[in-house]
Amino acid sequence: MAPLKSLEQEYPILDSNFQSFCASHDIFSVEDLLLHDLYVLAAFAEQESSSERLKQGIAQVLSIIDGQHQPWLNGMELLEDAQRNKHVLSTGCEGIDLLLHGGLRVGQLTELVGPSSSGKTQVCLLAASNVAKKHIGSVVYLDTGNSFSPQRVTQFICQHSDPAIDQAKHTTLRKVMNNISCQSVFDIFTMFDVLHQLEFNLRSQIQGGDCKVQLLIVDSVSSMVTPILGGSGSQGHALMISAGYLLKKLAHEHNVAVLVTNHTVGGDGGISKPALGESWKSIPHVRLLLSRDHGGSICNVSILKHPSMAVGKAARFMIHN
Amino acid sequence: MEAKGWISGDESAKEMLGRVLSRARPFLLLPPLHRVPLRPRNVLEIVGPSPSAKTHLLIQAALTCVLPVDWNGVHYGGFDGLAIFIDLDCRFDIFRFSHLLKLRLASGSISEIDREQNDNTKKRSSIAYDEELYTLCMRRFSYVRCYDSFEFLATLKTLHYRIQKEKAYGNCVHMLLIDSIGAFHWIDRASTCLPLRGNNRKSHSIQTVLETVVQEIRKLLLLHPMLAIATKATLFGNRAMNEAKCRNLRKPDTSYSQSGGITALQLPYREYMPSAWQTFVTHRILLRPSDDHLAVSDDQNHSVYFSEWLLPSLSFLDKFIVKEAGVFLVA
Repeated sequence: MAPLKSLEQEYPILDSNFQSFCASHDIFSVEDLLLHDLYVLAAFAEQESSSERLKQGIAQVLSIIDGQHQPWLNGMELLEDAQRNKHVLSTGCEGIDLLLHGGLRVGQLTELVGPSSSGKTQVCLLAASNVAKKHIGSVVYLDTGNSFSPQRVTQFICQHSDPAIDQAKHTTLRKVMNNISCQSVFDIFTMFDVLHQLEFNLRSQIQGGDCKVQLLIVDSVSSMVTPILGGSGSQGHALMISAGYLLKKLAHEHNVAVLVTNHTVGGDGGISKPALGESWKSIPHVRLLLSRDHGGSICNVSILKHPSMAVGKAARFMIHN
Repeated sequence: MEAKGWISGDESAKEMLGRVLSRARPFLLLPPLHRVPLRPRNVLEIVGPSPSAKTHLLIQAALTCVLPVDWNGVHYGGFDGLAIFIDLDCRFDIFRFSHLLKLRLASGSISEIDREQNDNTKKRSSIAYDEELYTLCMRRFSYVRCYDSFEFLATLKTLHYRIQKEKAYGNCVHMLLIDSIGAFHWIDRASTCLPLRGNNRKSHSIQTVLETVVQEIRKLLLLHPMLAIATKATLFGNRAMNEAKCRNLRKPDTSYSQSGGITALQLPYREYMPSAWQTFVTHRILLRPSDDHLAVSDDQNHSVYFSEWLLPSLSFLDKFIVKEAGVFLVA
């Protein structure tokens, strides 16, 4: 909440006279101005001696406010940006790729919901290795449960490459593994720190390694949010929603595909439902439900929510060892 | 003489009706919003859990707004104006919008093609016109995203000048669409009131934010007559309704689903918006998914949704599905 004083240097019309006029109406910062009726303020300014200058000040503040929201786009501009930047990243898993018409879409937040050992982490590791290997983009993996396994990632990477010269394979493997940056986060505040740092890096275009971040994986978001939900305060929900919006902002503004995992809880009537409640349902773009046949290696995935596909569409896939 | 002037009147009833009805034509939107005629300066709230096709209804309304009434002999029945879409949910999919628009344009010109009986030149020219019309319609759709309430307020405060600028180019704004109004509810609710300098300083709480939002939208609607539609997601599940549903699953009693179950008195959601917003809304419709599925083709199983008008309170439910080409009523 920057006070109006700090704007005086850049906009000399917001001088001390203007500031004291605003202070007399209990306005001390630009955010306060957002909560006030500017026409009423202008009417009060009419009665002051320096009304012209005050009204010019109000007009100046209005143009500052105009710069505080995201830019307006029309349909064609939106479409061009989407076609240019918001391509699809293949997850490396044919079943999911077929279901999602290609894979994870850049700019969207995809959620994998499933009970324990239904294959969520395997899908995350597979997607990370695939993106690092094929799309020449880097991956940021936020791991909350120490489930990131470099050995498994190596297995996925070396799966489809032909048994060529060992040396070449070794250097390729090294390069690909360098593209995956894994960080352990165990609480939501650390996650906010990491994400803000990532946003700052992306905005100032500092690349760690030569590749741009294409995929951000949070495994799992529910283990960080569940401890703070509940109780009578609304802080837990507010933190959860803020985290969701930060992820969506990273996805859209910086052209990153975001993949998060969530677990299931018992619902009414004994049917299991995704954790994190009603408010979380409006955060992800795409929600997929994963389940594994008992003791088998075939996973089922079905769509719980998608912006352009019917709910309930399903597919099966197998993750090879 | 002056007293007589008072009694004689300014115009006859016929003249008055002719004047009023020519300006304020009722909007008849696509189903399931067709039951109640909506006019400019109405505020419609579409409420429902996630997912219940709320954003699809907004997209459908936006399409009707940007399409022209007639174009090259094809009747589209649109309102020929600009649509403003404020995305608070940040989940809008432009590919879906573009796809639906193309299908709408194609269906208009396919009937044209049938009437012209496969004349090759006519077919080619109608496709070419589609491109131009498509670009025109896409340009009429104005979109902005907001990542928090301050950005939303900043957008609303500067919207008036934007609309005025558009009017200077000859474009009229017919609809203001907001998706979804309760997006920042939890964040605003948890905003702590730090001890602020000055006794009467307005603190950032849901009350003040929503009062300002309502004030700004009201001013906008006064200056520029347009229809405002806002979606609202239900944030609290209703335990009583879920328990009733589970009890009915065990009993082989189908009267629950046939009568449409919930009356307006037992609303299956909890209202969480402040009263400033609740009194501002003039129309309200509730959407919710049902347990039925409709098999449209061999592999496509569409879930059926219910829509119920809460304000004005109509006592029956409509059923609709979402197909590739949009929202369609199910008889």
